[in-house]
Amino acid sequence: MPNHLSPSEGLDSVSLNRRSFLRTGLGGALFLGTVSVTAGLSGCATAPADRLGAVETRMDARYQFQFLTTGDIELFEALLPAILGSALPEQPNAKRMTVAGTIERIDAGIHKFGPANQKELRQLFDLLNFGLTRVTIARVWPSWRNVTTEQADAFLERWRSSSIGLFNNGYMALTKISNVAFYGYQENWDLSGYPGPPEWAVQVLPQFRNV
Amino acid sequence: MSFTDRIAQGLESGWKVTDGATLTENQTVEADVVIVGTGAGGGTTAEILSKSGLSVILVEEGRLYYQKDFKMDELTSYANLYQEGMSRTTKDGSIAILQGRCVGGSTTVNWTSSFRTPDATLNYWSKRFGLDALSPDAMAPWFDGREARHSMSPWEVDPNLNNDILRQGCEKLGYSWQIIPRNVKGCWNLGYCGVGCPTNAKQGALMTTIPGALDHNARLFHGLRAERLVMNQDRIDSLKASAMASDGITPSGITVTLKARHFVVAASAIGSPGLLLRSELPDPYGRVGKRSFIHPVNASVAQMPKLVDPFYGAPQSVYSDEFNFSNGVDGDVGYKLEVPPLHPAMSAGVVPGHGDTQAKNLARLPWMQSVIALLRDGFHEDSPGGTVSLRDDGSPVLDYPITDYLWKGIRNAFYTMAEIQFAAGADRVRLMHLDSDWYSSWADAKAAIDGLSMEPHRVRLFTAHQMGGCGMGSNPEESVVNGFGEHHHVSNLSVHDASVFPTSIGANPQLSVYALAARNSTRLAQRLQK
Ligand SMILES: Cc1cc2nc3c(=O)[nH]c(=O)nc-3n(C[C@H](O)[C@H](O)[C@H](O)COP(=O)(O)OP(=O)(O)OC[C@H]3O[C@@H](n4cnc5c(N)ncnc54)[C@H](O)[C@@H]3O)c2cc1C
Ligand code: SF4
Repeated sequence: MPNHLSPSEGLDSVSLNRRSFLRTGLGGALFLGTVSVTAGLSGCATAPADRLGAVETRMDARYQFQFLTTGDIELFEALLPAILGSALPEQPNAKRMTVAGTIERIDAGIHKFGPANQKELRQLFDLLNFGLTRVTIARVWPSWRNVTTEQADAFLERWRSSSIGLFNNGYMALTKISNVAFYGYQENWDLSGYPGPPEWAVQVLPQFRNV
Repeated sequence: MSFTDRIAQGLESGWKVTDGATLTENQTVEADVVIVGTGAGGGTTAEILSKSGLSVILVEEGRLYYQKDFKMDELTSYANLYQEGMSRTTKDGSIAILQGRCVGGSTTVNWTSSFRTPDATLNYWSKRFGLDALSPDAMAPWFDGREARHSMSPWEVDPNLNNDILRQGCEKLGYSWQIIPRNVKGCWNLGYCGVGCPTNAKQGALMTTIPGALDHNARLFHGLRAERLVMNQDRIDSLKASAMASDGITPSGITVTLKARHFVVAASAIGSPGLLLRSELPDPYGRVGKRSFIHPVNASVAQMPKLVDPFYGAPQSVYSDEFNFSNGVDGDVGYKLEVPPLHPAMSAGVVPGHGDTQAKNLARLPWMQSVIALLRDGFHEDSPGGTVSLRDDGSPVLDYPITDYLWKGIRNAFYTMAEIQFAAGADRVRLMHLDSDWYSSWADAKAAIDGLSMEPHRVRLFTAHQMGGCGMGSNPEESVVNGFGEHHHVSNLSVHDASVFPTSIGANPQLSVYALAARNSTRLAQRLQK
């Protein structure tokens, strides 16, 4: 069951996380200016998105998000086409479904990361979702909902080639979580030419026999 | 559906196994010995102590998974069987840490390579840490015994192509190579050791020492995390542990207090120093968590002209020690060369990239081959290892700075791996580095490696071998336990896992853990029976 923070707790932890991320993670003169500003501002809800509204019925309505917020989901909706590139189906509806399913598996995976790494990811996602830091640190001007695949790709390239290790780390975190959740999923195995577990073994092993 | 495997039968026959998630009230339990962790060290200890007639309780943070759960699926296995759902890294995020978290510990997910501790390593320990009693001769019977217990012997089936390419490359270049001994019985050569062996062929703790202990009346709690050892004067009085809900990671709020005459910590490197730090046990010289080693691993991938199918077949069967001790035991860093299995999620996590290029690279997985180099850290003053500390929530984290000494070895290993892959006929080779392209000749690759910047994050680094942090030695000023794993300052505490190694091993560590735990448990059983 997702934990709903009361509005005031929510705000406190958002600004606190953001502050501590900036302090421990990014530090440096470049970002100090944003700290005081972001700390005072209130923003996006960080409670898990537990279920998407009717508009987003493309998501499996039975899936309960445990970690990702609506803001995070928009972030991945913007990033996944750039991360997965030509591995995504071309047909728009199929593409939307695949992106949606991948985001669910990203959420399920992060749930198992446990509290410490969740906290780090929360700081990263908040920083990317929060308007001011999105613009100043990620240098993405539109909100993620309006980001084109080219803009998302340019952002990923910036973080990949940056000489600041922390951005490289952010790049790896975003792409690795996405790539693993995508290519590891049975329905996408063919995209890496992986035929799955040997059929002869599946035929005879007891764990694959239906109860 | 009935399962006839060792675990299902044991559970049926009334083994004392408790899933922490089913507990509804706080409770206190008691035994002669409480053991924390059920991996290589904990399992061995539990079997030997319980066979000697002592009552034993095993405490495991992860859950009990066995044949019925092992369906050769990466995503479920990484989420359930690995520490932090496979997201564990060093503190700055630059080194991915693969480590098990389930009954059987890392042996449930390891790749079955079974090496004795190299003589050079044991001799170095004797000279440098006063561990004379661990000489190769003295340890030989313990290696013999564990090789028999875990059915370890050189792999007799032909290596898969992924491994054979390492052999071919070495052969062409005149580098030594050898066949790897594996701990398997009736192995189907499937290649899924890393996600839980689906056939029970792997003779890790889950198929050997854990059933052995449970057959001898040991009691196992899984889904129960050891939080804190509580001292009363100069002895440990109890262990406080907290139960996890059925998701395996959320504390349910139920606590269990475990009382015993003696406590054995076998939560492995990172885990064991973490528990000692949380417990604030005496540590007058500040040694706990220091000198943590990881065999830092860098990797190179190749596109081969022939189908490799690197996801099938025994994951590791060929290795080369050509560069492991070639600069002497304590000279420039040495490295062991091996091969990793490449399934889709693993490959997608190892090969960095995004977009159409990434899609194209991964689409070539069946033709992909990879070599890894495992650096022998801890044998030189410029390789002092990393440090385990506690995060705000009490969980342990490893800070592991890569020194210039290690970067030099990492660059050398890149040269060696690319050269081997081209010698074995690779069409193209790519180093696992954010700036590496595909290179189509050894000359191009060599020139590129000359210019690669050796920096955290840009070089993709991994570890599947965590060691140290509760190092053993004769001098309490620079170690945590003595050569028997006995804590220098707390008389009823021992450490029996990979965290006691005072350097890295210089070979895959499971047999080193099994053998030392067997030796030290045999001694402990005698001590406790008096
Ligand atoms: C993917 C992979 C492949 C590997 N391949 C090989 C190989 O081919 N050959 C080889 O020799 N070695 C290999 N290894 C390494 C080898 O398995 C380990 O070195 C060995 O298992 C270490 O033994 P251990 O007893 O120290 O720890 P582990 O076997 O890891 O056991 C420690 C246990 O303690 C538990 N624990 C931790 N903290 C707590 C707590 N607070 N409370 C309760 N329980 C806790 C953990 O959940 C874990 O189950 C591999 C490892 C991995 C991850
Ligand atoms: S290769 Fe052998 S030991 Fe490994 S998973 Fe397959 S059957 Fe088990």
